Amino acid sequence: MKELTMNINSLPDELFTRAEFIEEKVEDTGFSNYSYWRSTIRTFFKSPAVKVAVTLMVLLVTYTIIYPTITDLDPYTPSLSPSQWNLSPSAEHPFGTDGVGRDIWARVWFGTRTSLILSVAVAVFEVGLGVIIGALWGFYRKLDNIMFAIYNTLTNVPSTIYLVLIAYIMKPSIITIIIALVATGWISEARWFRTRILAQREADYNIASVALMTPTRRIISRNVIPHLVSLIIMDAALTIPYSIGSEVFLSYIGVGLPADLCTLGNLVNQGRSAFLVYPFQMIFPTLILCFITVSFYIIGNKFADASDPKNHL
Amino acid sequence: MSGKIFEAKDVIIKFNLRGQILTAVRGASIDLYEGETLAIVGESGCGKSVFTKSFIGMLDKNGRVESGSIKMNGTELSGYKTEEEWLTVRGKKIAMVFQDPMTSLNPVKTVGEQIREVISWHFGTDKEQAKKEAIELLRQVGIHDPEKRYGQYPHQFSGGMRQRVVIATAIACRPEILICDEPTTALDVTVQAQILDLIKNLQKDLNMSVIYITHDLGVVANVADRVAVMYAGQIVEYGLANEIFKDAKHPYTKALLLSLPQLGIKGQDLHSIKGSPPNLYKEIKGDAFAPRNPDAMKIDYMYEPPFFKVSDTHYAKTWLLSEKAAEYRRELETSTDDEKAEPAAAMDFSNAKKLVSVKNLTVNFKLGREEFSAVKDVSFDIHEGETFSLVGESGSGKTTVGRAILKMCHSSAGEIFFDGEQVNRKLSRDHLRRFRKSAQMIFQDPMASLNERAKVEYIISEGLYNFHMFSGENERRDIVANAMRSVGLLPEYVTRFPHEFSGGQRQRIGIARTLVVEPKFIVADEPISALDVSIRAQVINLLNKLKRENAFTYLFIAHDLSVVRFISDRIAVMYKGRIVELAETEELFAHPLHPYTKALLAAAPVPDPDIERHKKLVVYDPQQHDYSQDKPFWAEVVPGHFIWGNENELEVYRKNY
Repeated sequence: MKELTMNINSLPDELFTRAEFIEEKVEDTGFSNYSYWRSTIRTFFKSPAVKVAVTLMVLLVTYTIIYPTITDLDPYTPSLSPSQWNLSPSAEHPFGTDGVGRDIWARVWFGTRTSLILSVAVAVFEVGLGVIIGALWGFYRKLDNIMFAIYNTLTNVPSTIYLVLIAYIMKPSIITIIIALVATGWISEARWFRTRILAQREADYNIASVALMTPTRRIISRNVIPHLVSLIIMDAALTIPYSIGSEVFLSYIGVGLPADLCTLGNLVNQGRSAFLVYPFQMIFPTLILCFITVSFYIIGNKFADASDPKNHL
Repeated sequence: MSGKIFEAKDVIIKFNLRGQILTAVRGASIDLYEGETLAIVGESGCGKSVFTKSFIGMLDKNGRVESGSIKMNGTELSGYKTEEEWLTVRGKKIAMVFQDPMTSLNPVKTVGEQIREVISWHFGTDKEQAKKEAIELLRQVGIHDPEKRYGQYPHQFSGGMRQRVVIATAIACRPEILICDEPTTALDVTVQAQILDLIKNLQKDLNMSVIYITHDLGVVANVADRVAVMYAGQIVEYGLANEIFKDAKHPYTKALLLSLPQLGIKGQDLHSIKGSPPNLYKEIKGDAFAPRNPDAMKIDYMYEPPFFKVSDTHYAKTWLLSEKAAEYRRELETSTDDEKAEPAAAMDFSNAKKLVSVKNLTVNFKLGREEFSAVKDVSFDIHEGETFSLVGESGSGKTTVGRAILKMCHSSAGEIFFDGEQVNRKLSRDHLRRFRKSAQMIFQDPMASLNERAKVEYIISEGLYNFHMFSGENERRDIVANAMRSVGLLPEYVTRFPHEFSGGQRQRIGIARTLVVEPKFIVADEPISALDVSIRAQVINLLNKLKRENAFTYLFIAHDLSVVRFISDRIAVMYKGRIVELAETEELFAHPLHPYTKALLAAAPVPDPDIERHKKLVVYDPQQHDYSQDKPFWAEVVPGHFIWGNENELEVYRKNY
C-alpha cells in the first residue's frame, strides 16, 4: 500500500478527468499465452532423466548414422588369420573381435543402425495402421462386431506362434520382420486408439462439427487425431524398444534376419555361443541393446506424463 | 455482531505456474466477526478461492503466501509450515465445504464411516459413541432416516443430499468458522435454496461465522451480512449487504449489479461490462478495472487507489471517492440520469409461421438392461422469430429435447417438424444438408465446444467449407472477418488458437461459427451458465442483437427462470422429462400455476437482500399429485397457458387464477 502514504492532495487535478476509453484494447485483457506444445516440451525437459536419455540417444543415433562414413573397418569380412580371432578388447578393437576376426565395435554400430531402422519402421507402420483403423472403429459402430472378432482371435493366439509362422513362410529379410511384427501389433494399437477416440467422439466440439455437417473423415483428421498427437508420439516411442526386443527374440530362435546381416539380435545370438569363453562378445551388444530399450521407455513414459495438461506446472 | 475472530491483512499469494509467476492475490484484507456471514464475491480467477484456502494452509504445492498476516483469535497462522501445525486449525477451528460434493466424499466408504472417522480422529471418541454422534449430525443436516442412511454409500445419495453429508463432516468438529466455497454451484436451483437454508440454521444453532465464496449475487443477497467484492486479486469494496446492493460505489460493483439479466428491461440492451478480467501474470498498474471501465479517469491508469470510507462499515477502493474527483463524480451522475425505459410490449407470435413443431416426442435411453424415458410425450411449437425457453433442472430432459430437434439424438416416438417437413426420420442427403444449414447449436461450455487444435480461422470457416458458401479464398476471409466483427472480436485474432481466449471470447467464437452458415433456428443450450457474471450480459446482448439483425428463432435452454425472463417470449417448464407448464413469459411470472413452477420461481435467487431475507422456501414434492385414478393430461387453462394436471387440479388452478 505505497499509495496510501502518498498525499492525495498533491496529485494534479488534471488526473481526475475522463480518460480515453479504447474499446479494442479491452478485449486484450483476457488473452493468455498458454501454449499446449510449449508447455508439454517444457515439462518434458524438466526431468533430469529425460535430459540424459535424450542427449545420449541423440548422440547414439548420430553416431550410428555417420559411423559407416568415417570408418574403414568392414564388419562383414572375416579375417583369414587366426591371430585376429576372438581378440579381447583393445585400443584397436574396443569391443574385441569375434570368432572369425570381425571387429565387434563396427558390427555393433552397423547392427544398431539396422535394428533402429527396423524398429522405427515397425513403430511407424504399426501405430499408423492402429490410428487409422482405431479411428474408423471408434466412429463406425457397425465395425464393432467384426473388429472385436478379429481382436479376440488375434490376441488369444500367442503372438509368437504367428510371428514364427510368418517368418518361416516368407524369405528372411528386413521386410519380412517388419510385416511379421506389424501384423501382430496393429490390433492392440487399434483397440487402444478406439477407446481414446470414443472418449473424444461425444465431446462438444465434435458435436458442433456434426451439426455443421463436417464429413466424418475431416472430423477424424482435423478434430480427433490432432488431439491425440501426443499419445501417438508416446505410443510410437514405446513401440520402438518392443520391436527391437522382438527382433532379438526372433533372431535368437533363428527365424529372424539372415545370420550374415548385422543386427543386434544376430550379434547377441552369435555372442551367446561363445559366451562362456569370450563373454564380452555377448555383453557389449547386450549393453547397447539395454541402453536403447531403457532410454526409449524413459522418453516414452515421461512424454506421456508431460503431454497431460494436468502436469503443466 | 461482537468480537473479531478472524483477520487477514494485506495477503499476497503467488504461484509458480509454467515458469511464470502468477500473483493470484494482490494484497487482500478481510475481517470476520463472531456469528456473522461474510460473502466474498468475484469472478472466476479473481483469487477468492485461493485467498480463503490460504486461511487453512491448503494452497497447492506451487503456491505460497508471500506476505501479509492471517490471524485467528489473535494467533498468527501465516507462519505455519508443517501439516501438524495446520491441523490444529484446519477442520477444528476452520472447516471448509467445497463446490462438488462428489469429489469431497470417498466413493468406496459409507457416508457414516466418513463422518465417524472425522469425529474419532479429532477427538479420540470410541467407535460406538462416534457412531451415535455421526447419526445425530446426519439428522442435524436434514437427512431423513439417518440410521439407515449411515450405512449407505455416496452414490446412493442425490447431489443435494451429498452436499448435506459434506456439511455434516465439516461441522463434526464444531468449527468456529465455516468456509463455503461455491457450495451450491453444482446443485439445482431448488436444492440450492434448501442448502442455503440449512447452512443458515446450522450457523444459528452452532454460533459459527460463515464465509461464503460465490459468483452469484443472488446467493449473496440471500445469505450475507457483509459483502466483500473481489476483482483481480484485490478486495475492491466491502460493506454491509444493503450498502453494497443499494449503494455500490466501486465502478466494478456497480457494473456487476447493473449487468444482471434479472434486472434487464425487455427490448433494451443489458448493461454490459466490456472485455474480460485481467491476466494476473502481467503486472497491473493502477486500478485493475480501469481498462474495462468506460468512465475511468486518467489517474486510474497510473496509481492504485486506496480505500475510501463511505460509512463506518462501507469502504471502496476507487479514486472516484476522493475529494479531487468530486466534480467528475457530479458529471457522471448527471449523465447517467437517464429515464427508465419502458419494457417492450410482448410480441404476439401466434399468427407467425410455425418453424419448429414437436409432437408427442418421447426419447428413451437404455441404461444397462433398463430403459428409461428422458423425454416423455413432449409437444410444443416454436414460431418464426420467437425465443422459446425450456427451463428445468439437471436431468429434466431439456438438453435431450434440443438435441433431438437437431437430430443429434434419436427420438423413440413422436414427430418433429422443421419448416413444415418431418425431420426425425431418415433424410435424403440433400434434405439433411438443407436442415443442418438452417438449424444450428450454441453450447454451454465454451472450453469444450471449440476444437483446441485448430485456429479460429478454421473453426469459423468449417461451415463455409461444408456448405460451399464462398467462391474464393478472399471471399471466405471476408466472411470470417465480418463474423468476427459482428461478435465483437478483432478480425486479426483469427490466427490464434482457442486456448488464447477467455471464456466469454470463446463463447463468442462459438457463436460466430454458427452465424456464418446463416441459420434460421438456433438451439442455445445454457449458453451463459458457464460464464462469469460480467461476461453473461455481453453474450445475451449479442444473442439479442443477432436475433434482431438476422431474424433468428431461438430455442433457449436454461436452468434458471430469472435469467430467461429477460430474453424469452414463451417459457416451458420441464420436470422429469415432461413439460408441466407452458405460457408466455410475463403470464408465467404473473400466474405460475403448477406447484413445481412456483417452487422454481421461489427458489431463484434475487439480487436484493430485502426480498431474499424474507423469502419463504417452497419445496416441491411430486407426491402431492394424486394421479392414481384421475389421470393427468395436457390442458389449456387460459388461452396460451398450458399445464399438465388432472381434472381436479385443473379446477383448482382455474379457481385460483
